[in-house]
Amino acid sequence: MIQKKICMVGVFGTGKTSLVQQFVYSKFSEKYHSTVGVKIDRKMVDVAGTRVNLLLWDLAGQDEFEKTRSSYLRGSSGIFFVVDGTRRETLTGLADLLTLVQQTLGPVPAVIAINKIDIEDQWTIGDADVYGLIGEGRYIVKTSARTGVGVNEAFFWLADRTLRD
Amino acid sequence: MPGNRDVTASNEELRAGIDVFGATHPGKARIENDDQFFIATLHKSMRVQQTSLDDLSAFTRLQGASAYLLVVADGASGMLGARQASTTAVETIAQHIGEMIGCYYNFDVDMEQEFLNQLQNAVERAHDKVRGLDPFAAQGSATTLTMMALLWPRAYVVHVGDSRAYYLRGGRLRQLTQDQTAYEQLLDDGTMSEQQAEECSGLTHRLKNVLTSAIGGQIKPSIGLVDLQAEDVLLLCTDGLTQHVPDSDVARILGASASAEESCRRLVDLALERGALDNVAVIVGRCAAP
Repeated sequence: MIQKKICMVGVFGTGKTSLVQQFVYSKFSEKYHSTVGVKIDRKMVDVAGTRVNLLLWDLAGQDEFEKTRSSYLRGSSGIFFVVDGTRRETLTGLADLLTLVQQTLGPVPAVIAINKIDIEDQWTIGDADVYGLIGEGRYIVKTSARTGVGVNEAFFWLADRTLRD
Repeated sequence: MPGNRDVTASNEELRAGIDVFGATHPGKARIENDDQFFIATLHKSMRVQQTSLDDLSAFTRLQGASAYLLVVADGASGMLGARQASTTAVETIAQHIGEMIGCYYNFDVDMEQEFLNQLQNAVERAHDKVRGLDPFAAQGSATTLTMMALLWPRAYVVHVGDSRAYYLRGGRLRQLTQDQTAYEQLLDDGTMSEQQAEECSGLTHRLKNVLTSAIGGQIKPSIGLVDLQAEDVLLLCTDGLTQHVPDSDVARILGASASAEESCRRLVDLALERGALDNVAVIVGRCAAP
């Protein structure tokens, strides 16, 4: 069986855990749980006729106490970055994380999800801010862990790219 | 108070070792103790019988502990065979890990997923064993189970039920597990708000005692991990501790104690001072200073 490790990476509170919960269990929790260390979930998906067991490593969000550890990233086939559209500083924090991933893994396919599209009227990040993130092997998508918008699309794109690479 | 202490680990990768101690107590309201704990070191061992070599230091490091296994389990109260359930679960886990750990003495990214699969298999095997204890009982045996497999620096946690795993770093206590109870589920799915929970303390207390995942019942194991650092302190415990000793007291005791044994005794003593309505089991592991 093909297994692919995907790491969820981003600043704290961007919705990484909620995106995994929506993708794996089709549910959304109103209660915020701060992830400690790494939580691992898995989901079997069918990508163009190939069964792939996605191992979703939900990494604790980077904050003033804890930096994202490169040791957790090792062995990843793809990265799922998450930005909170309502908090501009989560986009600023992404630059360090992109560098960390590049240094640790080299070029791997990456999703950059601008999350919380269900409250887009509160966004402080505009399309112009996102243009600078466009690059080879990256897929930028607007998502909502609450409603599920863009969630399957993002994970399946990443699963597909990990198989190709 | 039964216990186990291991300060002998000298494996290079385990630095100066981990001071580990466990304790359990029936509490003040119960006669039986349905809680169990288990601490094991797993060794890669080479004993040199005879050689012409002068320097054997390269081989002595192969004799230390290479991995730790820590487990707590709380047989579900109110059900027949609670102690039998926690005992069976811990024995089965220990046996399974003992059989398979030979392949995983060192942290290895390439082997990691297989290792995680094996941990999950161990839990599922324990689940099957507990379910098989009395398949005809209307209300079968069940138990919580929280286990940590430590291959320095990585601590893997597999968790079912409402026992807990924590670590203390720099004075900050972090809970590695989420309670799998009806209370947490209702908060999670928005059926009940935290304010409503506070207003209905009697209901809240009952909901906290209803497990939504248990070995022998409905099982939804959660898997996580954390990379440890020197001077981190680990705690695994059953709810007999946490229903009486809040996180602030846990952090204070773990931070102020000179040894794992002292931490365990102080935590259990505090639960007893505050009534200890349930059985209590704790394991404390103190990572050595750099």
